[in-house]
Amino acid sequence: MKAKLLAHTPLAPLKEASGVLDAKSLLPHLGYTFAVERISRACSHQLVRHRGASFSQQSQRYITVKRLQERVVTPPSVEKAGDDEFKKLVKEASESYQRLVDRSVPKEDARFVLPNAVETSLLVTMDGRSLLHFFGLRLCNRAQWEIRALADGMLEEARKAEPKVFNAAGPYCYQLGHCPEGRFTCGRMREAVDRYRVNQG
Amino acid sequence: MRIELVAYTPDVEVMVAVSMLTTTSGAQPCTLHERLRANPGRAEEVVGRLEVQHGNVLEHNRLVWLVEATRDEVLNVMLDTRFLSFTGLGGDRWIMSGNLRAVAEYAEQRDTEFIRRLVDSIRDVAPNIHAFIRRRTG
Repeated sequence: MKAKLLAHTPLAPLKEASGVLDAKSLLPHLGYTFAVERISRACSHQLVRHRGASFSQQSQRYITVKRLQERVVTPPSVEKAGDDEFKKLVKEASESYQRLVDRSVPKEDARFVLPNAVETSLLVTMDGRSLLHFFGLRLCNRAQWEIRALADGMLEEARKAEPKVFNAAGPYCYQLGHCPEGRFTCGRMREAVDRYRVNQG
Repeated sequence: MRIELVAYTPDVEVMVAVSMLTTTSGAQPCTLHERLRANPGRAEEVVGRLEVQHGNVLEHNRLVWLVEATRDEVLNVMLDTRFLSFTGLGGDRWIMSGNLRAVAEYAEQRDTEFIRRLVDSIRDVAPNIHAFIRRRTG
């Protein structure tokens, strides 16, 4: 998995032009575009639930999936379980996909046999406020491991680009100073806050 | 109404080209970005093929304008399109932002002095998209 900030609207000229507004008020006017590479389709399904964002994703209608066994994301829990169930299914899916393509079934239909584990890459663009919300939700200990890892990579990039804005970003417990998860709280707020704390001076 | 572009995503047409190729090419987006930044002519050629069926290829950017307009004028723009965002700076001054898709679709929807100035404001930062919008709106 790779997350790289390709481009963003710079804050400095906007602050200068607006004069009276602080960085937080300007967040909805700033755009951040990330390249996200080699995540699973299971992860991209979660990502596209952030409706305020824009996406351009590799299309399985146009791009043939080759060597599926080398193009899947394997969850650590599956690795740990150590049995061959996952590998076996991926191999079968790979063979079925290839057979369908060989029989001139269009890629857009052959892809129906592909698993959620198959890799995908995409561009995602969010405004600054939506990005803070994304971090608040997806860096939480309760978020699923793959999208949390993706959010970690994106936060690292955002902090490098605009530290004054994104040093304050992290899971909601870090942003708010309290956990908003109610009875679902992980109970490890201090650990989470320590993980994301940086010197904001 | 006065309008001035004050901030924008750099290399905005390269981002449009990366977006177009990401959906249909097996190459990774970072690789496409590196290649196209190193070869602006190729980016221009890709953007020249733009047809905008999925307008999302024009969404990977954010442009910000300083606008001088009355509250009524701003209200009219907000009623016309929900894809341009405003923040008041006091008096008749506003920060307005949106992406190239918002500009392109607004220009197709209406023809007003404000929209003509809005489209003209992107001429230097996105010359090919500017020409594309001009072609479609006459």
